[in-house]
Amino acid sequence: MSDKITDQPQALSDLRILDLSRWVAGEYATKLFADFGANVVKVEKPGEGSFTRHWGPFPEDVPNLETSALFLHLNTNKHSIELDLKNSDDVEVLLDLVETADAVVESFRPGHLEELGLGPEVLHERNPRLVITRISAFGQNGPYRDREATGLVMQAAGGPMNATGAADRSPLRKPGLLEHYTIGRTAGEATIAGIFAARSGAGSVIDVSGQEVLLSGADRRASYLLSASYSGMIAPRGVRSPHRHGATFTGPFRTSDGFVMIYVTNQVFWDRLIDIVGAGDPEFHQRFYGRQTVSGKDRDDFMAHIADWCLESSKIDLMERCEAARIPVTAFLEVSELLQHEHFRGRGAFTEVEHPIAGTMTYTGAPWRMRNGHAVHRAAPLLGQHGKQLRQQVLTRKSTQRAGQS
Amino acid sequence: MTYPLQDVRVVDLTVVWSGPGATALLGDLGAEVIRLEGNNRTSRQVSAKTTKEVIASTGYHGGTYPDKDPGERPYDRTALFNWHSRNKLAACANLETPEGFAAALALLEVSDVLVENNSNGTLEKLGLGHEKLLELNPRLVIVRMPPMGMAGPMSDYLGYGPNFNSLVGIASMDGYEGEEPDSAGENYHMDEAAPAGVAFAVMAALWDRERTGLGGLIEFPQAEAVMAEIGEFVLDYQMNGRNPEVLGNTDPHMLQDVFLSADTDRWLAISVRHDSDWVAAAALIDPEGLANIGDTAALRAENSATIRAVFAGWCRGRSVKHAVQALQEVGVPAGEVMSESRLLEDPHLAARGWFRERSHPSVGTYRYPGQPWRAEGFDLAFGRPLPGFGEDNEYVYRELLGYTDDQYADLVRRRLITDHQLA
Repeated sequence: MSDKITDQPQALSDLRILDLSRWVAGEYATKLFADFGANVVKVEKPGEGSFTRHWGPFPEDVPNLETSALFLHLNTNKHSIELDLKNSDDVEVLLDLVETADAVVESFRPGHLEELGLGPEVLHERNPRLVITRISAFGQNGPYRDREATGLVMQAAGGPMNATGAADRSPLRKPGLLEHYTIGRTAGEATIAGIFAARSGAGSVIDVSGQEVLLSGADRRASYLLSASYSGMIAPRGVRSPHRHGATFTGPFRTSDGFVMIYVTNQVFWDRLIDIVGAGDPEFHQRFYGRQTVSGKDRDDFMAHIADWCLESSKIDLMERCEAARIPVTAFLEVSELLQHEHFRGRGAFTEVEHPIAGTMTYTGAPWRMRNGHAVHRAAPLLGQHGKQLRQQVLTRKSTQRAGQS
Repeated sequence: MTYPLQDVRVVDLTVVWSGPGATALLGDLGAEVIRLEGNNRTSRQVSAKTTKEVIASTGYHGGTYPDKDPGERPYDRTALFNWHSRNKLAACANLETPEGFAAALALLEVSDVLVENNSNGTLEKLGLGHEKLLELNPRLVIVRMPPMGMAGPMSDYLGYGPNFNSLVGIASMDGYEGEEPDSAGENYHMDEAAPAGVAFAVMAALWDRERTGLGGLIEFPQAEAVMAEIGEFVLDYQMNGRNPEVLGNTDPHMLQDVFLSADTDRWLAISVRHDSDWVAAAALIDPEGLANIGDTAALRAENSATIRAVFAGWCRGRSVKHAVQALQEVGVPAGEVMSESRLLEDPHLAARGWFRERSHPSVGTYRYPGQPWRAEGFDLAFGRPLPGFGEDNEYVYRELLGYTDDQYADLVRRRLITDHQLA
């Protein structure tokens, strides 16, 4: 594996982060640091490694600790050391690593770190400035602290799920592992905030409850909660954009070859849409142009007409015509289309990464761009790849310290 | 009080949703966040002319206002603004007038960060492009958040969160199990993703500034930021040539779904992660009916529909509270799909003190959603729940910018500075 060597400093080059997490949120939190230059060490269970190594997807669906797509994506630029946290020699190595770290990120069940004898007091004794970020489903205290959770259960507890889906059907979660990424990004933000606070010399313990991250989120939940507090309003399921009113309509529509998302949120967009849909249909145009409210049979007729109109075009053609008329309508792209898309490719939104076993693939690139910003120097580490080197560094530092003391 | 971003001043020119969500997080960290708002526009998405009657005529429920009443100052009373307005300051400035422009420049000269999420070119039209601002104040960190970036063939495309979700592949996998993706309705994940990303980016840039002495531009293309959340699917396509399927509430590695309880429209999520969850769940729910059909992950996948039908029958026969409790007692992940009213009375959130009661003269006293995380060892700010329009005019113009009595009085007299929105 060739590390891309560069003299270019990165914004977070002088930070050291220890990643004790084993799942998406913690690993995404530390990926933000690693991809912006920090030295991130993943502490992995010997022989087994992170849960994300077991998740896949794998090439040809054949499980392999080194080729899980989820692990490869989340652990670019990181180092890996295998440590058995129930073995006292390994624990001593961990504590030595803690001494030079700015932050530790963990996502064990609440209380597990304490059971291992590695609670915050122990870590702070070795490094008083350490930021300790603790990620859990429901937080480090409270009656539901020890509840079991998955992404689905957290979306139910914290996300806008109650209002997502159809009115007469079950609430619907968001796809993929999005909630874990959201929690992880926020845990990363909390961690770097802790590092800023530590400039005064004081370390910290940060409690990231997945539920609370989702509840305070910008995916409508916080605004729904405040509306409920203000007026008792409960956002209904199956009513698109319950905050909105008047002549607006939004949502996915079927085209001849896929779907588009139509987002008509105000009178200006509405009238532009009526102009374009009603261009050859004066009756439709006259009936709906300038309308401020559309309900009942009017609305049913209107929606049926729009649905038919969408079916007449391809998704890209419809998007481009609507954009030309300045109406927010976008095509649903598949991942395969995304990877080929001239806009994203042209902007350099992807990055090639070479891995000794998984080979060279195109990964998603910089989440944002800034001076001394995102760079992938190294693929995700093999399990324990940097163990020998890191143990040697610890020994060298210890003997230098002893020499200094004698 | 020790705040992480003590002594950091942020000028906030954000609108609508994701941008204001980002500056809220910076305010939590103790930064002084100052919104500059024109009195001739609806900076808070609400017109000063909004009345109960106007609301009634559009058929809108008005539930975003306290007691469904927009009141005298509707722009101070909307949940669409107030969910993200804690700690922020607000000063009146019409940036397209010479006076407002001068005030903005003066403020940016003594600030550390500017955050804006307007359409590409908006700042340039105002004469506030980032190159010019960096000449004025090389230490300034400038965040610009156009969804599709500042350059590229689609960079000027119009859209909202759900539009850009669709362009980065998320909408295509969103929907009920095995159905087309149009069954999902909407998801606003791009809006969800930006705020913490922007706050992280600002801190990374401030960290870099400690070393280099220089601020600079952060281009935050919101669609690309959210694209990172499907990175495993991007690799899967290259490994196996397949696009993500629409899985609804199910999951490829677990048996899970959302089930209706005996309570009206109250649902619960249940996941069976592995064999030990299965043993516990089967023993609780129906040991005979579930015998031999789900002992391994492969069996659970094969018999998923049958197993879920048994789970559904069990859930339908008990209250959501009892169902969740019984499953959690045997260690199986389960939880109610929480409505807003259930969350407001939730004992766990109450014990953690998550909601915060706050008062403001324009609004009254209400509970507000809390912060995304908490810390021991330093403080987070949660002061005034919102700035009334123009509430901090005097502080910004006179204290910060040093306007004289005469200068300030003149701007007030010409209605360029007001303590209420005109539009």
